[in-house]
Amino acid sequence: MENSYDLIIIGGGPAGLTAAIYGGRAKLKTLVINKGTVGGLVNTTREIVNYPGYGQVSGEDLMKDFKKHVESFGVELLRDQVVRTDFSQEDKIITTKKGKVFSAKAIIIACGSEPRLLDIPGEKRLRGSGVAYCATCDAEFFEGEGVVVVGSGDQAIEEGMYITKFARKVTVIVLHDEGILDCNKVSAERAFQNGKMEFIWNSTLEEVLGQDNVEGVKIKNLKTGGSTELSCQGVFFFVGMVPSTHFLKESGIEMDRRGYIPVNELMETNLEGVYAVGDNRVKYLRQVVSAAGDGAAAAVAAERYIEEMKAFNSNVLESDKQVLLLFFNALDNESLEFSTLLENVNKELMERYKIVKVDMTTKKNLAHKYAIEKAPSVMVLDKGQVVMRLDCSAAKEDLKSQLC
Amino acid sequence: MSLPKLNANSFEEKIYDAGEACLVVFSRKTCHVCKEVVPKVEELQPQYEGKFGFYHVDVEEDKPLYQSLSLKGVPQILFFKDGEYQGKLTGNVDDEEIEEKIEEFL
Repeated sequence: MENSYDLIIIGGGPAGLTAAIYGGRAKLKTLVINKGTVGGLVNTTREIVNYPGYGQVSGEDLMKDFKKHVESFGVELLRDQVVRTDFSQEDKIITTKKGKVFSAKAIIIACGSEPRLLDIPGEKRLRGSGVAYCATCDAEFFEGEGVVVVGSGDQAIEEGMYITKFARKVTVIVLHDEGILDCNKVSAERAFQNGKMEFIWNSTLEEVLGQDNVEGVKIKNLKTGGSTELSCQGVFFFVGMVPSTHFLKESGIEMDRRGYIPVNELMETNLEGVYAVGDNRVKYLRQVVSAAGDGAAAAVAAERYIEEMKAFNSNVLESDKQVLLLFFNALDNESLEFSTLLENVNKELMERYKIVKVDMTTKKNLAHKYAIEKAPSVMVLDKGQVVMRLDCSAAKEDLKSQLC
Repeated sequence: MSLPKLNANSFEEKIYDAGEACLVVFSRKTCHVCKEVVPKVEELQPQYEGKFGFYHVDVEEDKPLYQSLSLKGVPQILFFKDGEYQGKLTGNVDDEEIEEKIEEFL
């Protein structure tokens, strides 16, 4: 099928693109579906100074290099948006906004996050008329004017300082006590020294005021409970991010209250063959370098999963003989002895069966599929159908009689 | 960019003098949201060929134009008919929203 892939990656930021590099290099037929510009939100970062090997680079240039690298491995990139998923079968189905349907053996979710809205009166109505979320895009529209910035994280403070290049004054609304910002120390020091930056402490925004354009804001002091109005022409919101995982609500993927996806060390979600990487997963540090690490781990895990599935299909499902599927633990003596015993019994039965061994410690997916809990365990399969489960505690003769 | 570009002069001609029903996308190269919205507009254009005009303004190249319209951000899609401003869509809008708005003027 033309639209069937080994690996589909949803999202083309640093996590997705790194997964694509590993997928392409492992010769997996790989597709990246990305709804906007390749590179994602990193494109909005003017300066990255902590990605190893690049002393200083713009987000856009770094992502161009990622993209070039991906393309050199023959990975396909598609600009579209995933709107529906069906992860219930071995072949996972993805439907896009443009009506295309794709299938893949493994899926990596790398759709990132988006700016959180504060959801206060006036915010939505005046979007594009003074309410803004991206300084690179919109700072210039406020030449010589008064601007309010909401938030005190890295993005808020760094973007606020960028806006001072154009605006007459930038007033930062900070939740915390005087002198406390959430951003890194270097940026905080620079901000305090910037003559155009002012701070209003212990406060949050209550409302954006104005008819056709922003004319001011209503600020609430959290200590006194009192409200004050401040005249301004622009408001930039930098109040954190939310994961862009809404389209997965019906997918059966486990998410936390906020929509982040919990994964294990292999980036596996609760669904077999589905992985989550980068900003949309539950994690400690959300940076380009850690996103790239996630992507690499997930792609390697997905590759092994696919290989395991392919090997199983050709060894077990297409075998002419009935198959003895032995789940064993390579580190356990009892398992190994049982394995030898089973080989001997099969020999005495003139190799009536084909023995396929599965190491439970590395092939958890298969063990899970057949609800195997302990090693050793043996299933008798005919063209993939379970015919019988052997009693493995039996002695040799008993074992033989079970198989006759 | 496949949409016909407007500058201050051609904007005057097309929008105010000819009075064509049309939309104008204002964007800039360094804006990531614009990079999502502009392709959506480009994809819609063929189905309205001859019925509704599609134009583009790069705000970096035509500063006086956006200043005269007192725009406060990009991307921004402005709608015009009979030489008069009819309304706008701002930020990361969906293709459906753009289509709905266009249908109002056909």
